[in-house]
Amino acid sequence: MADTEKKTEVDTHVLQALDVSVHYGGIRALDGVSLHLRKGQVLGLIGPNGAGKSTVIDAITGRLTLTRGRIVLDGEDITTLSAEQRRKRGISRSFQRTSIFGGMSVYRQVELAAHMTGLADARDDALDILAELDLLRLRDTLGEDLGYGEQRRLDLALALAGRPRVLLLDEPMAGLTMQESMDMAEHLKALTTRRQVSVLLVEHDMDVVFRICDAVTVFELGVVIADGDPAAVRADARVREAYLGSAA
Amino acid sequence: MHSLRVPALLLIVGILVTQFVQSGSLYSIFTQAVIYAIFALGIGILLRQNGLVSFGHALYFGMAGYGMGILLAGSGMPAEAAMLLVLLVMGLSAFLIGLVIVRVPGIAFSMLTLAMGQMSYLLASRARGVTGGADGMGIAWPAQVFGVSQSVLLKPPTFFLISWCIMVAVLLVVSLILATRFGSISEAIRDNEERARFIGIRTTVPRALIYALSAVVTGIAGLLSSLNSGFISPESLHWSVSAIALLMVIVGGFRQLAGPIVGAIVYVLIKDVLGDLATHSMAIFGTALIIVIVFAPEGIAGVLRHWLRRPQTAASANELPGS
Repeated sequence: MADTEKKTEVDTHVLQALDVSVHYGGIRALDGVSLHLRKGQVLGLIGPNGAGKSTVIDAITGRLTLTRGRIVLDGEDITTLSAEQRRKRGISRSFQRTSIFGGMSVYRQVELAAHMTGLADARDDALDILAELDLLRLRDTLGEDLGYGEQRRLDLALALAGRPRVLLLDEPMAGLTMQESMDMAEHLKALTTRRQVSVLLVEHDMDVVFRICDAVTVFELGVVIADGDPAAVRADARVREAYLGSAA
Repeated sequence: MHSLRVPALLLIVGILVTQFVQSGSLYSIFTQAVIYAIFALGIGILLRQNGLVSFGHALYFGMAGYGMGILLAGSGMPAEAAMLLVLLVMGLSAFLIGLVIVRVPGIAFSMLTLAMGQMSYLLASRARGVTGGADGMGIAWPAQVFGVSQSVLLKPPTFFLISWCIMVAVLLVVSLILATRFGSISEAIRDNEERARFIGIRTTVPRALIYALSAVVTGIAGLLSSLNSGFISPESLHWSVSAIALLMVIVGGFRQLAGPIVGAIVYVLIKDVLGDLATHSMAIFGTALIIVIVFAPEGIAGVLRHWLRRPQTAASANELPGS
């Protein structure tokens, strides 16, 4: 019975980072970190600057080589795969700094991103995402001609294109106004729910994190110091001391 | 259809030139401009699609001439087959070289191309037994090429028109290639290589293919030049030849595919058609270069495109209140 329960739990994990370490010489950017992302879950990663949140995303997406540990996607060990191969298997990401294709039109780049995953209906997928993110009216505009908030949405559109299974978002609300952040959070929640994509969200805006995340993991100095549902994490004394502050 | 507009317009311009120009010497100058235009187009493709500046594309310009000279002298191969072989070998070798050097970013890439170009220059200068050394070598073109006798083919108006049509055909083929998915992929890599990797694009091969395409286009210019002059020397491989073609690209503009062609025409007009002022051609062209860099970074073609679009934009704006 216990074995069955354990197996079911593993089956619901779309992505697992197991005992992951990333060391640069003597610096331990990540040290024995394990994360488990369930299907359809939005998991928030929080922590002070330099805690290792973005390094986790880089490690999972293949931007960094692991010193130790494994990355498992739907039961398949993808630790040695390239970034391109991981993308084609369904792991997608956005970047802390807006990362779009400035010289290409909005539609052309999102359609290309969808096509590169091998999706048969790349055109429909691109149009659907652009409509959801309120970018359809800008479909022929070059990326470099968009406003900052529109570029952030385009960045998200590129990550969502091609129906990924897992989305890793590195501070998608960075630089946005409070209202833009809330709008983006709503778009994000709607899209990920409708598209049944699991999300790993690195974000400093606690209002957004506690509003849309199903679970939260807290980092400090490359290790996990707490994880669980948002309310429990918010109440954790160690987390309040390390990151949220006593007033949180 | 949009990609057909510029080539169709250029074709009409070429035919009109043959209707109005009578002077043989003018045709020779125009032919030189066309050859340079194709050369510059090759460099422009690399800059436009890969964002890379080459100071060594004279390597492919001269290699075409030397390839023809060596094949026609020793192999007994028909000239048409030799031309095809030269372009194929050039494309393949450029692709293999590209797989290595396109990984090198920015100015380091430019220096690598400069080094390769100068190495080929020195090699051609010193390998007297094969290349004729610094004296160069004559190219033994057969009496007929593509079934047309040389005396007809090399008449200035005929050769100009053939060169012009080849330039238009090259422009058309390149614009059709770049309008495909491959063109989108190479633009994505140019704009943001890291992001391209994270949408699933393998970035090295498309960049190497663009490098090979630009080399083949430059090689076509080299073939035409060798046919026109019947001679090839190490000077064709010198870095200064690449630099002049690069200046044409900057003055003409590289964001529009036809920009380098405009730059080549402007260069030749300044150099050879301005009469007494031609002795100061480099100073005039240098001034044009400064003006373009400061006031029109997108080049003459970029300015022309802006002007041509302005009436449409104004018309659209005027329609808005009533729409």
